[in-house]
Amino acid sequence: MRHLGFYLKFFTWFSLRNLRTHPVRALTVLLGIALGAAVFTSVRLSIHAALDSFTRSMDVIAGSADRVVVQPGGRVPEEWVPRLLRLPVVREASPILTTYARFPGEKAAPFLLIGFDPILDQSFRKWRTAERSWEDANRWLELLKRPNTVIVGKSLAEKYAVHRGDRLTIEHTRRTAKFDIVGILSSTGLARAEGGMIVLTDIATFQEFTELHGWVDRIDLKLAPNATNRTLEEIQKILPENILLRLPSAAKESGQSMIRAYQLNLTILGFASLFVGMFLVYSLVALNAASRRHELAVLRATGASPYLLFFVFLAEGALFGVAGWFAAIPISTLLVKYMLQGVSQTISILFVRVQVDTLSLSPWEVILSFGVTVFTACVSALQPAWEAMQVTPGEALEISRHGMQYKKSHYKLVLAGMGCLFLVIPLSLLPKILNMPLPGYVAILLLFGGFSLFAPWGLNQMGKALSPTLRRFAGIPAYLAGRYVRDSGTRTAVSVGALITAVALFASLVIMIFSFRSTVELWTDQTVSGDLFITTKMGEINQFRYPIPRSVVQWLQEFKDRVDIVPSRRYFLGQNNFPFEFELLDIETFLRYGDFVWLKGDSDEVRASLKHGEGVVISEVFSSRTGLTIGDRFRAWIESSPVELPVLGIIRDYRTQGGVVFYSMSGFNIRYHDIQWSGCRIFFKDRTQDIEAAVASLQNEIVRRWGDTLDMISGDGLRNVILKVFDETFAITTVLLLIALIIAALGIATTLTILILERSKQLNTLYAVGASFGQIRSMILWEAAFMVVAGELAGIVCGFILSYILVYVINRQSFGWTFLYEVDWGALAMSFPLIILTALAAAYPAIKMVFRESPAMLLREN
Amino acid sequence: MIKKKTSPVIEARNLTRIYTLGNSEVVGINNIGIDIAPGELVVLKGNSGSGKSTLLSLIAGLDRPTRGYLTVAGHDLTKATTSDLTHFRREVVGMVFQSFNLMPTLNVLENTSLPGLLAGKSGDNVKSKATELLEWLGLSARWNHLPAQLSGGEMQRTAIARALINDPDIILADEPTGNLDSRNGQVVVELLAELNRKWNRTVVIATHSDLADSLATMTICLRDGMITDQACDI
Repeated sequence: MRHLGFYLKFFTWFSLRNLRTHPVRALTVLLGIALGAAVFTSVRLSIHAALDSFTRSMDVIAGSADRVVVQPGGRVPEEWVPRLLRLPVVREASPILTTYARFPGEKAAPFLLIGFDPILDQSFRKWRTAERSWEDANRWLELLKRPNTVIVGKSLAEKYAVHRGDRLTIEHTRRTAKFDIVGILSSTGLARAEGGMIVLTDIATFQEFTELHGWVDRIDLKLAPNATNRTLEEIQKILPENILLRLPSAAKESGQSMIRAYQLNLTILGFASLFVGMFLVYSLVALNAASRRHELAVLRATGASPYLLFFVFLAEGALFGVAGWFAAIPISTLLVKYMLQGVSQTISILFVRVQVDTLSLSPWEVILSFGVTVFTACVSALQPAWEAMQVTPGEALEISRHGMQYKKSHYKLVLAGMGCLFLVIPLSLLPKILNMPLPGYVAILLLFGGFSLFAPWGLNQMGKALSPTLRRFAGIPAYLAGRYVRDSGTRTAVSVGALITAVALFASLVIMIFSFRSTVELWTDQTVSGDLFITTKMGEINQFRYPIPRSVVQWLQEFKDRVDIVPSRRYFLGQNNFPFEFELLDIETFLRYGDFVWLKGDSDEVRASLKHGEGVVISEVFSSRTGLTIGDRFRAWIESSPVELPVLGIIRDYRTQGGVVFYSMSGFNIRYHDIQWSGCRIFFKDRTQDIEAAVASLQNEIVRRWGDTLDMISGDGLRNVILKVFDETFAITTVLLLIALIIAALGIATTLTILILERSKQLNTLYAVGASFGQIRSMILWEAAFMVVAGELAGIVCGFILSYILVYVINRQSFGWTFLYEVDWGALAMSFPLIILTALAAAYPAIKMVFRESPAMLLREN
Repeated sequence: MIKKKTSPVIEARNLTRIYTLGNSEVVGINNIGIDIAPGELVVLKGNSGSGKSTLLSLIAGLDRPTRGYLTVAGHDLTKATTSDLTHFRREVVGMVFQSFNLMPTLNVLENTSLPGLLAGKSGDNVKSKATELLEWLGLSARWNHLPAQLSGGEMQRTAIARALINDPDIILADEPTGNLDSRNGQVVVELLAELNRKWNRTVVIATHSDLADSLATMTICLRDGMITDQACDI
């Protein structure tokens, strides 16, 4: 205890008081760490909220079922409920139907409508109405007694200001109908699904409303305690081949896995900001250790142990970590609100639907964020602390050196840098570990480390090469700047390292996003081709489970003289907990107007085979996830048919929610069974006309005939929406990038200021021997320019390498896709003036500080 | 006030410099009047805080007086602009510091050439002159060494060479022997004396050492910011 007391007192005297005398430096570093910690924390918290909301939603909807009976791509006949209940091993069974519906009005948000048997379901899911009296508590029985009655979730009721006793109009794919509200859910159990945006109704009402008489989405089962794997196999044997017995968590696990992949990627991006902030801590602690070297020697001479000095500087780093984390709290509070909406939207669009109603402050996430921040700051301070430990007591007597040190060789740093870079490619070729692209991330870390370690040597070479030339063209200030940068060693190299990291991140993500967008644009132009897209009302949100009525199909055929129609039917399936879509398409007509973006396989041969229904083409994502490739067999149950087809080719497809498998609709009708359209796309035969006007005219005709029973979007509209979704998805990434750049700029500013202040005497001597203010200012600006140019050029090179790793390793292993590599030179070039301006802006306050005091005062010896 | 008969190269009247440090004021020098003729070797003597360095920094154009009048080699420093002072420091005076204040990243030749290059003179001419100076100072063999590779005496001689590169009329030295052993200190003082005797430069040395006493043609004693007529009691 006494030792701890002494240590704290010593830390206060030695470190805290020193930091207090240079408040601006300390606060700048604190700000850098705070920004990095805020980004990291808010990324983690917002995705955790989305994951938590999704898990909770899935759990409350899944209830306490032991198993579920489903038909992939279809529905289960209701008759199986009593048949399963007759089995001794089945204790209870509850049929469930779910769909998304909405209230009338264009801006009405969809909610989940659940159809169930309130009595059979009692032990599966917990819910109750928010009634106070005993009489009112049984109002839920009205669901059974009266048709078209509903119980509304509390959040939904509050949003639309509806109450018990009100009448609601609900819209769905097939119908619009009125319902009486017999209760409002209290905020427990099932009410927490979908952020409270749910409506419960009796299964019969549901079936009538959705015209699904005799069908359910699934049957939840509770099994007897003595149920074994053998008994489960017995149950499966009783069921038809196309109806499966599954764990209730399958859908939840696949959704969680996708969200977690996204969480990991954003976490790494968030950590990058913290990583850049690390350089600031290193810079300041290293400066403190170096500039107070004589003090350290005196301390050693008067009895301090090397370990005391080591832990003092380590503690300085830790202090920045702790203080920075706390300073991050208000920034995180603001940032998380922005990120929560963006992240939820992205996850809902790309992966699974989530409705985040509350931001839950997970203690583990808070601890993780605190731990990572403090650990990172401590790691930053390790090397300077180690250097401080090496100071010998004898240095206390060395006053004639006047702080001049021999230049240290960069040889060891260059070797270490080469070692790091050498490992980058082998590591990036390794497969995933624990389902995460960990070797890829380690490769990225080594890439940053390698380039940063090269920085001192790079600056040295740059100074050597450029100083003489610059002297000729830009005068003595540029020459002096080059000489200083050449010989300054790790002092300037640290912040150049930070800049390299930030610029590399910026460059690589600019390239990756541009490549991705260009490829998505190509994909939308070719594969999402069509002048008008039609599906049933709310078709997409309900995963196209409700086909277009035959009457509509027949009516559309009347336009065949003007248009070509490409019908499609989409099934949302799963394979090994990996969701994918199986799409049937009129391949012949589609290929007349559009095409796939081919990745593998001879496209001419595959097209011909595909038209004849000889096999399927699969998306790159599907191939990555399942391991299937050309020549393998694709197998799945589609409604009542077991489909088995060879894989003909692999294509690029950026549809959300997993991979895609395409097959010819006519081929399916011939080989398996007739299916109905879930949607279609229309191409006008006369391509010379005003297509936009033609589309609008056709839409009006459809609305006149069918009202709002169909959802329609023009081809241009759909392609623009896809690109808009893409842009919004990467908006978060762009914000995180900019923050990393700001932190790096802060690093440059801090380092410049510190280095200039450290050289006050030198700079004032220059003034004394005849340099003008302008020459000294020019010299400092040239130093800033050297550092920035070195950081920018090395960062761009590093960024190109990083972009390859992101495109071909990280994206492929995280999400299963790659894209055509393309460089946006314009956007890359934009970073240069931005960074230059930032550095120059940072240099100015430093210049003013140099001559804040009179040169005479600074040059005095006593 | 000490007067000489010839037209002075350094002339001060009622020269005062007051520093404001926080809420308090510190008087550096107070009402000083001096006349220094060309070709003098002047020793400014006094304890720490006597005002020697303050007076020297005013003469060097590194600082501005609070009150009074100061002319150096015909330049009225009280009315000079920033640009005038820059030119003055380049061409008229050469400074030598106690801690040498060499640029650590420049070698001996480069440190010596620096003021000439800052003044915009031709590189070749400056280099030639610097080489000459280094030869005179016995540093030819060390021309490409960095300051960290030099002894204290060598560093101070380099600083003297630097002070001479632009051929100034006046050499100002602030405690030039303060960080040297007695042997090297003697060498430096003799060099400054040689500059005075052979090269006819006016040399002003601020010191509390007595190494230069026997070589001085004029001694000014300072105490508490004022010139004292009493013997310099250090």
